[in-house]
Amino acid sequence: MLSESARATSAAEARFRIDDANSRPRAIKVIALDRPSEAVVKRLAQLPWASATFLTAVANVPRAGERFSVQGWLGDLAGHTKDLIGEIDSADLVVMVATGGENVQVASIIGEACSLKHVMTTALVLGATSISDAVLSQTLAQLRPWALMLVIASAEEYIADMLAALRA
Amino acid sequence: MLKKEQNDLLTQTGPGTPAGQLFRSYWLPALLASELADNDCPPVRVKLLSERLLAFRDSQGRLGLIDEFCAHRGVSLWFGRNEQNGLRCPYHGWKYDHTGQCVEVPSEPVESGFCKKVKLKSYPLVERGGVLWTYMGPPDKQPPLPEWEFALVPAEQSFMSKRIQESNWLQALEGGIDSSHVSFLHRGDLDSDPLFRGAKANQYNLRDSRPVFEVVESAGGLYIGARRDAENGNYYWRITQWVMPAFTMIPPRGNHPVHGHFWVPIDDENCWTWSFDYHPTRPLSQDELRAMREGKGIHVKYLPGTFRPFANKDNDYLIDRAAQKSGRTFSGVEGIAMQDASLQESMGPIVDRMKENLVSTDNGIIMARHRLLRAVKALMDKDMPPPGIDLAHQHVRSAAVVLPPDRPFMEAAKEALSVRAGVAHASV
Repeated sequence: MLSESARATSAAEARFRIDDANSRPRAIKVIALDRPSEAVVKRLAQLPWASATFLTAVANVPRAGERFSVQGWLGDLAGHTKDLIGEIDSADLVVMVATGGENVQVASIIGEACSLKHVMTTALVLGATSISDAVLSQTLAQLRPWALMLVIASAEEYIADMLAALRA
Repeated sequence: MLKKEQNDLLTQTGPGTPAGQLFRSYWLPALLASELADNDCPPVRVKLLSERLLAFRDSQGRLGLIDEFCAHRGVSLWFGRNEQNGLRCPYHGWKYDHTGQCVEVPSEPVESGFCKKVKLKSYPLVERGGVLWTYMGPPDKQPPLPEWEFALVPAEQSFMSKRIQESNWLQALEGGIDSSHVSFLHRGDLDSDPLFRGAKANQYNLRDSRPVFEVVESAGGLYIGARRDAENGNYYWRITQWVMPAFTMIPPRGNHPVHGHFWVPIDDENCWTWSFDYHPTRPLSQDELRAMREGKGIHVKYLPGTFRPFANKDNDYLIDRAAQKSGRTFSGVEGIAMQDASLQESMGPIVDRMKENLVSTDNGIIMARHRLLRAVKALMDKDMPPPGIDLAHQHVRSAAVVLPPDRPFMEAAKEALSVRAGVAHASV
């Protein structure tokens, strides 16, 4: 007699796996942290997505000692301001897109908001192959405290593949 | 999630398929050298990439890997007589040499030269590091012989085993690069398995079941770094290597041997899991070798006379619900290798990736698929050799290191991630 596992793992039995959706769409916010990344995020936004929102934090790097408000701190790609906390509050995952060698201090503001709201963060670094390890270190040092997952990718297309894999 | 056409593309490796062509770009482990130990020993059936082959060692010690079936009537040459530099079909006496060339057709006049017109498909088979390797691609694109460190160290420093896994190769590989499962599935074994226990690193693993991951593309594949808190604000890093298409190397623990796998398709619903253990600077001890032969660490106990694990789907992997409940094993299955295999086989022969819900910590898997798809496309569209063929891509090590918090692991551990002759692996 076939064991439970032998019977259940056959190709024939695989056909009976329930075909209903087993999850609800996740809200994924993709935020560009620097100018080159903003161009990448704009290109990504042209693709069809079910549950991804594309934003930029580029215009909002606070100068030292400057007071700032999270109200209207983020921007969408059409230039409209967006409330940081509101956006994070409605996110299941925040993906921060950064370029190696760029100043990505804004990651700390987004990361802190995500930490406050218990939202998972992923940082993606592009352009790392064209800069020195020392320069890349600086970028990573700005991201690492705020990214629960950090990916250094050689190609922009990876972000689209990752978002598709995450059902964005 | 992976679209059906992408899933099909990566999971189908038979002749003429794109991923099949990718695999046919590399030297692949085909048999243990011990399976063909002596000249004129019995031939061995080999199925790789959905092709049925037969391996034998002739009277001069030459290795052959040829089409399993006699060109005459389709008889399996596994029944053949391995004699006088060739394999003779017992049905009508046709004889083949190690290249698959027919050298005798007894029913035909020798002068007719008929036998010269008959040749079975064959592939090169070479011995290196206790493994017989084959290359199944076009002869003009045959790469240099593999230079994985485990295969180059003296024989007494290395141990290799293989087992049949009853699932597609990709879901087995993906288990090998999924670092986040270790703190759950294998937690019962870190402190008890003789090939893992005693390492300081185990405490970091057990203390912190939510590591932070960094995935970095390497020339040959990926570094997958898992970061946990160590003392004094430092980080404990475990860095796994994946080299395309199917080589993974697990970070070491203490002074234990370092280990890893190859995941080689047998057909689309089965694969060989090759498991190596080696130490770069010292012979393996008798205790270590005994543990490996007894199926500890990443190795398994076998059904006698086979490479099928003793715990397998036919006996429900000998699942022990009491051990599961008590926490002695997390899943109830004994042994690290079968803990992995039982779950990967439970997905079915080829898992439907349309139904999966990956999360951010699965980026290692997502990136591996991305690179495989990219490599297949580049090979098909531009005839571009895939990563992992270049010998420099094979001169790699996994590493376990404690680093200051501001150092990228691929910079701080650069030396530790490469083979350094005479230098032990970096381990905690």
